Amino acid sequence: MTDLPLSVRGLNKKFGGLTAVQDVDLDLQAGICTALVGPNGAGKTTIFNLITGNIPPDAGEVLVNGKPVRGMVPHRIARMGVARSFQDLRLFGRMSVRDNVLAAIEHSAWLWQPGGGAARRAREAAVDAALDRTGLTALADARAADLAYAERKFLSMARILATGGRIWLLDEPASGLDPHSRARFVSLVRSAVADGVTICLIEHNLDIVTELATRIAFLDRGAKLAEGEPQAILRDPELIGIYFGERRT
Amino acid sequence: MIAYLLNLATLATVFGILAASLNLLIGYAGIFSIAHAVFFGIGAYTGAQLAILFIPDVLLACLAGGVLAGALSLCLALPALRVRGEYFVAASLGLQMMAVTLFSEAHSLTGGHGGLVGIPMPTLFGIDISEPATFLVFCLLVLGGVLLAIRMLMRGSFGRALMAIRDSESAAEAFGKDVPRLKTLAVGLGCTLAGVAGALFAFYMAFVNVESFTLEQSILVMAMVIIGGTATLAGPLVGVLLLLLLPAALSFLPFIPPTQIGAVQQLIYGGAMTLLMIFRPAGLAGQSTGRR
Amino acid sequence: MLFLQLLFNGIQTGAIYALTAAGFALIFGATRIFHVAHGASFALAGYAFLMCSQAGLPWPVGCLAALAVAVAFGLGMDAFIYRPIQRHEGSFFTVFVAAFGMTIVVQSLIEIGFGRGFAVVPSALTMAKEVMPGLYLANIFWVAVGVAVVLFAIVGLFLERTRAGIGLRALSENPELLRAYGLSSRKLSALAFGLGSALTVPGAVLTAVTSGLQPAISAQVMLISLASAVVGGIGSLRGAALAGLLLGVVENLVISVLDTQWSSAAGFVVLFIFILFKPSGLFGQAVTR
Ligand SMILES: Nc1ncnc2c1ncn2[C@@H]1O[C@H](COP(=O)(O)OP(=O)(O)OP(=O)(O)O)[C@@H](O)[C@H]1O
Ligand SMILES: [Mg+2]
Repeated sequence: MTDLPLSVRGLNKKFGGLTAVQDVDLDLQAGICTALVGPNGAGKTTIFNLITGNIPPDAGEVLVNGKPVRGMVPHRIARMGVARSFQDLRLFGRMSVRDNVLAAIEHSAWLWQPGGGAARRAREAAVDAALDRTGLTALADARAADLAYAERKFLSMARILATGGRIWLLDEPASGLDPHSRARFVSLVRSAVADGVTICLIEHNLDIVTELATRIAFLDRGAKLAEGEPQAILRDPELIGIYFGERRT
Repeated sequence: MIAYLLNLATLATVFGILAASLNLLIGYAGIFSIAHAVFFGIGAYTGAQLAILFIPDVLLACLAGGVLAGALSLCLALPALRVRGEYFVAASLGLQMMAVTLFSEAHSLTGGHGGLVGIPMPTLFGIDISEPATFLVFCLLVLGGVLLAIRMLMRGSFGRALMAIRDSESAAEAFGKDVPRLKTLAVGLGCTLAGVAGALFAFYMAFVNVESFTLEQSILVMAMVIIGGTATLAGPLVGVLLLLLLPAALSFLPFIPPTQIGAVQQLIYGGAMTLLMIFRPAGLAGQSTGRR
Repeated sequence: MLFLQLLFNGIQTGAIYALTAAGFALIFGATRIFHVAHGASFALAGYAFLMCSQAGLPWPVGCLAALAVAVAFGLGMDAFIYRPIQRHEGSFFTVFVAAFGMTIVVQSLIEIGFGRGFAVVPSALTMAKEVMPGLYLANIFWVAVGVAVVLFAIVGLFLERTRAGIGLRALSENPELLRAYGLSSRKLSALAFGLGSALTVPGAVLTAVTSGLQPAISAQVMLISLASAVVGGIGSLRGAALAGLLLGVVENLVISVLDTQWSSAAGFVVLFIFILFKPSGLFGQAVTR
């Protein structure tokens, strides 16, 4: 059996008295897009933070390509090919668009990068390709903080794209996009999936979810209530009821 | 008059190196240190002792001062950088207070309150460069080298890494940056350069004591960087010139008694810092934060 | 006996530190603003009291004047400095520098007005009596401890029992709750600044009658507040108060083994030990970056 790109076992996290994530198991199958769906505060972002090592879990483990990553610092996990976006983007605001992407793929913690000119040209090529695919080439020298909303969203995608990471965790990357940008975003993710990238997508817009996801995991109040094919999940009246705000008692 | 100008120019050059080195921390890496005068002081004492006890070679003094200041800065960086930014501010303030006590108590190393006197004339490879103009040229060369190095590093991957951490630490981590190590490196480098400035300062003054390495000095350098503009090459230099010329300019104003000049100067740069943060956070030489 | 004497001195200093640090922690907890100009509130309160005494006014008037000045300064910082900055950016750095700048302004204004030296308000309360062989205590000791205990009780009750107090705590724990309570975060942040700054007043007045005031006191108080906040656990009011007490005691006890000039350095040794070994402080949550 080949290892799953990413799987999560019995994950638990409490913030003070609040249970943010409770006994969550989640497997990302290689080369497909799995959507994480659930109402606000369900714990979706927290799961990402637990996977990337941003916050330590109270219990449970995370396996990347079959290897447990418990106790690893975020940058080590990132270098295993896990790339993520943030709900609030967290661009490098005072840097140029190009530098944002370049900074995302320079890993050496020394005064310069190893590998000399050849490696540098390879990085620059990766940046150019990422900017091209996200339509930001013309804005390469603009400051990230000065970009328009949709451009900022695409810049956060460009950073991920350039890393060449094989596992992407996308936190509401399409929220607030206009229809045209949304279509561009969908095709961007589709082509990544076609390239064999494994994606976990947090998304509130169910149209986008149906368009992109092969599987859906449904979360509410920290617990995974269901997982399966989109049709099955999205036709379940109880889940839809929870999703659209009829609270369970 | 010429002597006065040469004097001022040399002081400005030394402070230019100091401010540029602090800018590396504050402006590029987003590390807020209020202990920069401590490392300036370590460099000065080291340079002075080297000159007094062994050989008054400026280059050696700069090297020794820089290396020692950089090495000791790791004592601050290693613990304090593992935790949030607020902690570093608190820790650096604490260090500043402790260091002043240490400087004035460790008589055998620093000469205590009296300081180290009789620092010999500076030489370079055995050639006397104590002539004010010659010494100025040497300082300018060092400043040029420092600025060039900062410019090259900050345009390269190291600078991008530091600025990424400054703008969003968690995102930098998520993209594979070893944040504690990069920050430690930045602190080490910045403090090394402060030590170099300190060694030059010792020769310039021919005498050093703790008065030059107090919290007030740290704040003054910080004000230079912030008022001039962070994260630019020219900003700290602009700040240095403005704040060094300020006392001279104030002394021309008849209604300020000479004893109050220090306080009035502080009043002006304190107020300037606050107003700048409200209206122009990038500083005088920085790009304004206009948004589309 | 020296030890006991220093311990009592430490408790007196610690009571002052505790109140001041609690004010800082209250403001930080409710607004997430690192109010480094807190020391300036303290200095202004102290000098207001000094001016009133020099003008021959009775001490309650002086205290009220100190209170008015400190609260006005805190509210002014919130309204005219922090709020405009947070409207456009509000990074830690910007807020910090602005507050730091104001601290320098206040310090230099005081220096221009009152000179650099120490200024003490003489008071009969500071006459020390021998209460035990070798242990001298002045009445001011009991005043300091009493005021601290009473004020902590009042602040505690306020935070536990009143709507506004609960709102303040909610603001730090869960801003979402506020809407449910129908409280405005703007008013609450003003309340936090008012109350937090008011807590500097007892310390300022007591310092004015005991060890005396000097312009640089604002920087010292700022340091104590910062150190207490870290040692206590950032955002924890109880922690800050306890840490303030601890720092006061340590500063004084250290004199039994080292010269007096090391006393303030000792406080910062405590700070470093906490940063190294227990960065979450006495009561804080995990805060590794
Ligand atoms: N660092 C934290 N400290 C305290 N509570 C937190 C923290 N992070 C998240 N929470 C709480 O945990 C719960 C889950 O939050 P999370 O951000 O994971 O939800 P989400 O599913 O991503 O919601 P949304 O759709 O709004 O983004 C929320 O109630 C939130 O307030
Ligand atoms: Mg979320």
